[in-house]
Amino acid sequence: MIKKRTLAVAITSAALATGAMAQDLHFPIGEGPFSWDWLEEFENLDLSGQTVTITGPWLGGEQDSIRRVLAYFEDATGANVDYSGSDSFEQQIQVDTQAGSPPNMAIFPQPGLAEDLARQDLLVPLGSDAADWVRENFSDGDGWADLGTFENSSGEEDFYGVMYRVDLKSLVWYVPDNFEDYGYEVPTSMEEMIALSDQMVADGETPWTIGLGSGAATGWPGTDWIEDLMLRLHEPEVYDGWVTNDIPFNDPRVIEAIELFGEFARNPDYVAGGPQAVATTDFRDAPQALFDIPPRAFMHRQANFIPAFFPDDVVVGEDVDFFYMPSYDGKDLGDPVLSAGTMMAITRDSNATRALMQFLQTPLAHELWMAQGEFLTVHLGANTEAYASDVLRRQGEILLGADTVRFDASDMMPAAIGAGTFWTGMVDFVGGASAQEIADDIQRSWDDL
Amino acid sequence: MLQQLILAAWAIALAIGLSALFFIGSNVLLDRTLSSDHIRDDDDRSRRDDLRESIRPWIFIGPALLILTLYLVVPVIYTLWLSMNSRAGFVGLANYTWAFNNRGFQISVRNNLLWLIVVPTLSTLFGLVIAYLTDRMWWRNIARSLIFLPMAISFVGASVIWRFIYDYRGGTDQQIGLLNAVIVAFGGEPQAWISVQPLNNFLLMAIMVWIQTGFAMVLLGAAIRGVPEDTIEAANMDGANDFQMFYKIVVPQVWGTVVVVWTTITVLVLKIFDVVLAMTNGQWQTQVLANLMFDIMFRAGDFGRGSTVAVFIMIAVLPIMWWNVRQARKEMS
Amino acid sequence: MINAQRFSVSSGIKHLIVLAFVVLWTLPTAGLLVSSVRDADQLIVSGWWTALVATERNAAHRTGTADSQVEVDNQFRIDGEFFREDSGRTVVSWGTGGRNLDEFQAGDTWVQDDGSRLTVNEDGSYVWLSEQPFEHARGIRLFYIAAIPPRFTMANYERVLAAEGIGRAFVNSVTVTLPATFIPILIAAFAAYALSWMNFWGRSFFLAAIVGLLVVPLQMALIPVLSTYNWLGQTWVGSLGWEPRSYLGVWLAHTGFGLPLAVYLLRNYMAGLPREIMESARMDGATHFKIFITIVLPLSVPALASFAIFQFLWVWNDLLVAIVFLGQGEGRTVLTAQLRELLGSRGDNWEILTSGAFVTMIVPLLVFISMQRYFVRGMLAGSVKGG
Repeated sequence: MIKKRTLAVAITSAALATGAMAQDLHFPIGEGPFSWDWLEEFENLDLSGQTVTITGPWLGGEQDSIRRVLAYFEDATGANVDYSGSDSFEQQIQVDTQAGSPPNMAIFPQPGLAEDLARQDLLVPLGSDAADWVRENFSDGDGWADLGTFENSSGEEDFYGVMYRVDLKSLVWYVPDNFEDYGYEVPTSMEEMIALSDQMVADGETPWTIGLGSGAATGWPGTDWIEDLMLRLHEPEVYDGWVTNDIPFNDPRVIEAIELFGEFARNPDYVAGGPQAVATTDFRDAPQALFDIPPRAFMHRQANFIPAFFPDDVVVGEDVDFFYMPSYDGKDLGDPVLSAGTMMAITRDSNATRALMQFLQTPLAHELWMAQGEFLTVHLGANTEAYASDVLRRQGEILLGADTVRFDASDMMPAAIGAGTFWTGMVDFVGGASAQEIADDIQRSWDDL
Repeated sequence: MLQQLILAAWAIALAIGLSALFFIGSNVLLDRTLSSDHIRDDDDRSRRDDLRESIRPWIFIGPALLILTLYLVVPVIYTLWLSMNSRAGFVGLANYTWAFNNRGFQISVRNNLLWLIVVPTLSTLFGLVIAYLTDRMWWRNIARSLIFLPMAISFVGASVIWRFIYDYRGGTDQQIGLLNAVIVAFGGEPQAWISVQPLNNFLLMAIMVWIQTGFAMVLLGAAIRGVPEDTIEAANMDGANDFQMFYKIVVPQVWGTVVVVWTTITVLVLKIFDVVLAMTNGQWQTQVLANLMFDIMFRAGDFGRGSTVAVFIMIAVLPIMWWNVRQARKEMS
Repeated sequence: MINAQRFSVSSGIKHLIVLAFVVLWTLPTAGLLVSSVRDADQLIVSGWWTALVATERNAAHRTGTADSQVEVDNQFRIDGEFFREDSGRTVVSWGTGGRNLDEFQAGDTWVQDDGSRLTVNEDGSYVWLSEQPFEHARGIRLFYIAAIPPRFTMANYERVLAAEGIGRAFVNSVTVTLPATFIPILIAAFAAYALSWMNFWGRSFFLAAIVGLLVVPLQMALIPVLSTYNWLGQTWVGSLGWEPRSYLGVWLAHTGFGLPLAVYLLRNYMAGLPREIMESARMDGATHFKIFITIVLPLSVPALASFAIFQFLWVWNDLLVAIVFLGQGEGRTVLTAQLRELLGSRGDNWEILTSGAFVTMIVPLLVFISMQRYFVRGMLAGSVKGG
C-alpha cells in the first residue's frame, strides 16, 4: 500500500513537471464521518498513465467540489481525471458526440438529453448489474433505475445513467422572524397553506414571491410549480402518464394543476409585484422579497439550491428556513416529493472510466461532496453524518422519508417540450392565456414531434 | 507561465510566418519556374507570360477557396442534406412543410423581417451621421471610441447591461431598471418591458443598433476621409449648406461603403441570436430564425428541423447576394 | 494638413448632436461600470444611478437577550450596535414593526409597558434600561431606516483578477486571437485582390459565393468541421502528431468563419482604388504580386485595420469556437471560458459579469484606440473615390 502511495506521488510530481496541477486532498484520509474503507479496492488498482475526461454542467463552486471528490480517485489509482464544466453543456455534448470525439463520461442535467443520445447509440450501456445495484442501494431504487433506462436505436432497453447529486424541489422558504412577528404558523397541509395565504392577504400582506425569469431558460420555475401541484392533486400514476404523454398535456387533470398554479401566480393579492412581475422577475431575484423590510412576501417555493442567491449576510437555518411543501389532507396521496438531479453516463468506454464510475457509486464519493455542502443524495449507504449542515440533513431526510418521489417532469419530457413549449406555456399562462389554451398548444407541439 | 508565453509567441510567429511564406514562396516560385526573361521569341515569351499570369490568380485565391470549401461550403451541403432527414431517415421536404405550418416559425419570419428593416437601416444611418459630424471634430477620437465601446463588449456582457435598463419591479418597489426609473420620475406607470408585445421586439433591436453603430461608424468614417478635397471645396464655393453637403456630396461619394456596411449588418442580423437568447430566448413572441434554429438543434436535439431553419436563413441572403454582385459588375465594367 | 474647416456644419449644433449620441451610447456601459464596483446585494435592490448618493434602506435588528444584561447603579442594561464598525451608516428613524419604521427618531426613547426604556442613537448603538432584571430568552426585533453612504468595492474585480488560472487564460486568449486575426487578413487580402483586379474564370461566381457564405450560421459548421478534424486525427495525419483539438485547429476554424467578411470588405475597398495606378504599374512591367505588395497593400491599410479590429473582437469575445475546437482541458481555457467558470452553474455569481465584462473589454479597447490612426486613408486622400 505504501508503495502504491509513493508511486502515486511520483506520478503526481511527474504530472506537475508537465504543467498539470496536483490537488491536495480536501479531507484527510481516515478521519471524519467518511466510509474510507471503500478506498481500498481502488488503491489496489493501478491506472497510472490513463486519463478520464468528464464534461458536465457544474461550474464555479460546484466545479471545485467535484474536482475535490475526483482527487481521491486520482490519488488512489494514479489515473488522471480531467473534469471540465460548461454552461453550454447541452450544445457541447451534442457536437462532441455527433462529431465522434466525446469525453469519457458526461454528467447530464436532464435525463431527456441522455435518452436522446442513447437512442442514437451514443451512450455506453452499463448493464443490468448496474441497474440492480441502483435498485438495491438507492432509496426508492426502482424509480431511479427506471430513470436511467433508455432504448437504443434498435429499440432494446438497457441501463445507462446513474444519478449523482439530487436536488429537492418541494420546498417552501420563509423567514421565521417574519412568521413570528405576525403570528403565522408553518402550514402542514395544502389546505392550511392556502388558508395561511388568505390570512396574509386579510392582514394586508402579500404571501408569495414567484419569479419565472432565467435568461435563456425563462419559464422553468413555473414548470416546477405545476409538477409539485400535479403530485398533490393526483395519483403518481397520473404524473407518470403525463410525463410519457400517455395522458395528454391537455387532459383535465393537468389543466386542473395549471389552474391551481394560476390561483397563486395570477392572483394579484397573492404575488409580490402582481402577475406582471411574475414572468419577468428573475428567479435569482425573487427570494429578495422575503428579506425586505417590511417583507414584500412571506413564502417562496423553490428547490434546495436557492440559498446561493440569498443576500450574503443571511444565515440559512436562522434568518431563513424552509418547510416541506405540504400535500392535501383531504386527498389520500401521502407526502410526495419532487426531485431533480444530475445523471452520469459513459460516452466513451475505457477501463479507467468504468473504475471511476464504480468509484462515484461508492458511499464515499457521495459523502465527500455532502461534506462540502450543496449536495443531497438518495444513496442509502452514505453516512448522513457527513452532511455539511443540519439544513442539508433535514432536506436529505425529506428526500429519504417521502412516500412518493418523482423526478422533474420537464427534465424527462422530450427537450422540445420540457425545455421548450412547456417553458413558453408557463410564461404565456402567467401573461394571461388560459390553461386550456396553453395545454392545447403544448400538446400540439408534442404531436408535432 | 513564462514557458507558456514563449510557446505562445513561438506559435504565433510560426503561424504568421508560414502563411506569409506560402504566398511569397509560391509567387517567387511561379516567377522563377515560368520566367520568360531568357526567352527570345516574342510569341513563346508572351505565351509563357500568359500561362504564368493565368496561374497566378489561383495562387492568390486558392487558399481562400480551400478554406472556405472546408469550413463553409461542406457544412452548407451537409445542412441541406440534414434538412431532408429526420431521426428516422430521409423524409424529403417534410421538414419544410412542417416549418411553414409551425407558428413559432411564422413568428420568427415576421420578427426577422422587422429586424432586417430596422437594424441595418438605423445602424448605418447613425453610423453615417456620427462619422460625418465627427470627421473634423477636435474630440473625434474620444467620441468615436465611446461610440465604438459597445462593440468591444461580449454579448453576455451586453445582456447584463441592458438588464439594468429594461428591468421591471412590480408594485411599489424601487425600480432598478433605468427606463422604468425615468418613467416613474415623470409620473408614468412602470412596465415589464421585455414582455410588452410588439414593443419588446424593438427594444431588443435597440441593443443590436447600439452595438452595430460603432461598426458602421468605423467603416464610414474611413470612407468619408476619402472624399476628395476638390469636390468639397467646389460645394463650399457654391454655398452648399451643411445638410446639402451631407446628402448631395458626402453620401453619394461614400455610397459604395454604405452598401457594404448595410449588407454586412443585414447578414449579421440574419444570424443574430445571442441578444435574443440572452434577453428573452424568444419568449413573448420575440423569436427569430437563428435562435429558433439553435433551439431546435441543440436544445431539442432535432438536427433535421434545425437545419431546415438554417436553410431558410441562407435563402434569405440570396437577394442581397444578387444585389451585391450586380453592384460589383457595374463597378468593374 | 487638410483644411480644418472643410465641412461647415454650425459648430454648436454639431457638437451637441454628437454629444447626445455619445451620452446615449455610453450611458448603458456607465451603468455597467458603476455596477461593477457595487456590492452584489445592492445591485438587485437599487438602481445603479443611486450608487453615487447616500441611500436609505430598511433593516431589522434583534436585541440582545437577558444573558447579555449588566447591572449598573441598580439599573439593568443591555447594550448593542445595529451596524458593524466603520460602516458609516446612520439611523434615520426606527420603530417596533416593519410597517412603522418612523415611530421614533434617532435618539428617541421608547418607554415600554413594563417601564423599561430603550434608546436608539444615530450611530446605531442602543441602550435598553430597566429597574427590574431582564428575563427574556429571545431579543425583540427593532426596525429602522438606515442611511447608507455611497460605498464602492473592488471585490468584484479582485475576484476576477485573482481567479485561479486567469493569467494562463489570458495568454491562451492572446495565443488564439493574434493568428486567428492575422491569417484570415493575409489570405483574404490576396483573394480580394484577385477578385477585384485579376481576370480569371469564375470570378463573378466566386464573388457571389463569398457573399452567400457570409450568412452561413456558425452552428451549422461545428459538427462537420470537428468530424473532419477527428478523421484527420485518426488517419495518417494522426501519426504525424495531429491532434483534433489544437491551436492550429482553432486558428483555421476562426479563419474559415471570418474569411467571407474579410474578403467581402477588402474586395470592396480594393476595387475602389484608382484604376490608373494599377494600369501604369502594369505598363512598367510589374507583376500582380509586385503591384499587390508594393501598391495595393499599403493603400488598403484602413480596410485591413478595420477588418482586423472586427475579427479581433469577434475572436476575443468568442466562447463557442474555442470550447469546441480547443477543448476545455486544463490550461487550455480562454478568458471567456475562464470567466464563465466563475459565474457558477446557475449564474450564482452573476455580479462577476459586470467586472468580467470590463476586464475582457480592456484589451480590445486598447487595440481600437491604438489603431485609430490607421482607419483613415493617408497617402491618397483626395484622389480615391469612395469604395
